[in-house]
Amino acid sequence: MSGLILTAREAGGPPIDMTGVLPERLAEGDDALAGLFLIRGRERHRLDDLFALQTGGPSGTLILRPGGAVLDGVGTGMTAGEILVAGNCGAYAGRGMRGGTLIVEGGCGAFAAAEMAGGRVRIAGDAGDFLGAPLAGSPRGMSGGSVTVGGNAGDRVGERMRRGLIAVQGRVGSLCGARMIAGTIVVGGGCGPELGLAMRRGSILLSHAPAPPPAGFEDGGINDWLFLELVRRDLTAAGAWPVGFPTMGTRARRLLGDRSVGGVGEVFILSGM
Amino acid sequence: MKLNGVHIEETFAEAFPMLGTRLIVTADTPAWVQAAVVSMTGFATSVIDCGCEAAVERLLSTEETPDGRPGAAVLLFAISKEELAKQVGRRVGQCVMTSPGSACYAGLLEGAPIPLGNRLRYFGDGWQIAKRIGGRRFWRIPVMDGEFLCEATTAVVEGVGGGNFIILAADRHASLAAAQAAVMAIREVPGTILPFPGGVVRSGSKIGAKYKGLIASTNTAFCPTLRRAVASSLVPEGVESILELVIDGVSPEAVVAAMRAGIGAAVGLGAGGGVVSITAGNYGGKLGRYQFHLHEVMA
Repeated sequence: MSGLILTAREAGGPPIDMTGVLPERLAEGDDALAGLFLIRGRERHRLDDLFALQTGGPSGTLILRPGGAVLDGVGTGMTAGEILVAGNCGAYAGRGMRGGTLIVEGGCGAFAAAEMAGGRVRIAGDAGDFLGAPLAGSPRGMSGGSVTVGGNAGDRVGERMRRGLIAVQGRVGSLCGARMIAGTIVVGGGCGPELGLAMRRGSILLSHAPAPPPAGFEDGGINDWLFLELVRRDLTAAGAWPVGFPTMGTRARRLLGDRSVGGVGEVFILSGM
Repeated sequence: MKLNGVHIEETFAEAFPMLGTRLIVTADTPAWVQAAVVSMTGFATSVIDCGCEAAVERLLSTEETPDGRPGAAVLLFAISKEELAKQVGRRVGQCVMTSPGSACYAGLLEGAPIPLGNRLRYFGDGWQIAKRIGGRRFWRIPVMDGEFLCEATTAVVEGVGGGNFIILAADRHASLAAAQAAVMAIREVPGTILPFPGGVVRSGSKIGAKYKGLIASTNTAFCPTLRRAVASSLVPEGVESILELVIDGVSPEAVVAAMRAGIGAAVGLGAGGGVVSITAGNYGGKLGRYQFHLHEVMA
């Protein structure tokens, strides 16, 4: 069984909802995928009306070439296999993923990895707001798996996150880790305001202290944190340890909070300052 | 069979299934690794009265440990999963967590899990923090010098306990030299430990005793001082000292490899070095699942 390449026939136009286009379905044959109905704007289309299908790529891999088309919901609910997006994704990339790997060679819109429970998402460019956050009206954000972002990310990264890892090479917007319950967020660049607002547990790793310091957090001073070495080794192996982060040593300043809600979440400042 | 002038008896070592696990202990310096693992593996020579059998498998370089610090791999064996879990919890809790700068990781990832940090985390009194890193789960427990980092669980494998061979020598110096050579060789074999002091047993035992309630007593058949006193004596003329090596391993293959290495090193001293013969301990093949025949091991 080889992979499959889907090339968008048209650039522009309304977003195409890619829900249901998954590598798990490659075993059903090209015809089964070609006959899938996808929503584009307010219309239903057969997949092969919207995409040119071509056999190719590694076994179990779905390669999407969006060109100028906007693809929403890529990898929604994926459990196994791999999706490679040779370009940008729209919103909801990797939504509710439980396994497999989603690689985006460009950037992503809002709600990437929203409510993700397992697997890996690798975004080479920027990510929008609500990365790893809950969907609107939902009480739980990301609950497993890992997300790495090569560029910047928007507001509310890891909101209500319960488990898993988000590593952003660049900056993140406001409310990063807000209402976080557990898990780890690594931010290579700066943070917007309201970092860790109402955070209960979990860890946020920064290279430098946010300005102003997050309200509701207490400065616990500088200590050795051996687990940081394990995080660094894991992220370095994945090529996701932020460029500006120290490459050795486990000393870091820890801020503990959000104490205003009785939280014991941690913000680690690896430079100590 | 004769090897280097040393007689190898046509007999077998009888061994038993045991459940085992491997733990990786790290610390800031090799000296503190030693402090932790020596304490952890103390009083762990025999399941007869210690609860488990444990020893350092080998020391680890900074490149071999999860956190890049000096470390040691420790193997622990017990007769049941429940007993192993109890011993692991007690020993890591009392001997590793208490040792400055230490951390403890699972050394086996495949197999049924038993609690490690999952049991010790309560020491954190609510301030403990779970952290999943690279698909593995750890507990961070606040302690007085910082944090004790401990993997949540470790895996159990069905191993082998009681692999053995017995060195019969002309005198104590010869038996000890042969035993020490065997210990050095066996310590190079992965997946095995020698749980007794220095890797050697001088008080081998037989099952039962003349006294009620004693499940084991001195192995009279191999006591040179009783050669004329007991009819069952197996001490030949010219033998004044006997030492035994007991081997536990993560698999029968590992135990066989260790026996081969150990016997090979012992007979390396030769008859000229005072080594008379090599035999093995068994119960007539009635009790143990494994029989390691010396001639097959050394073939």
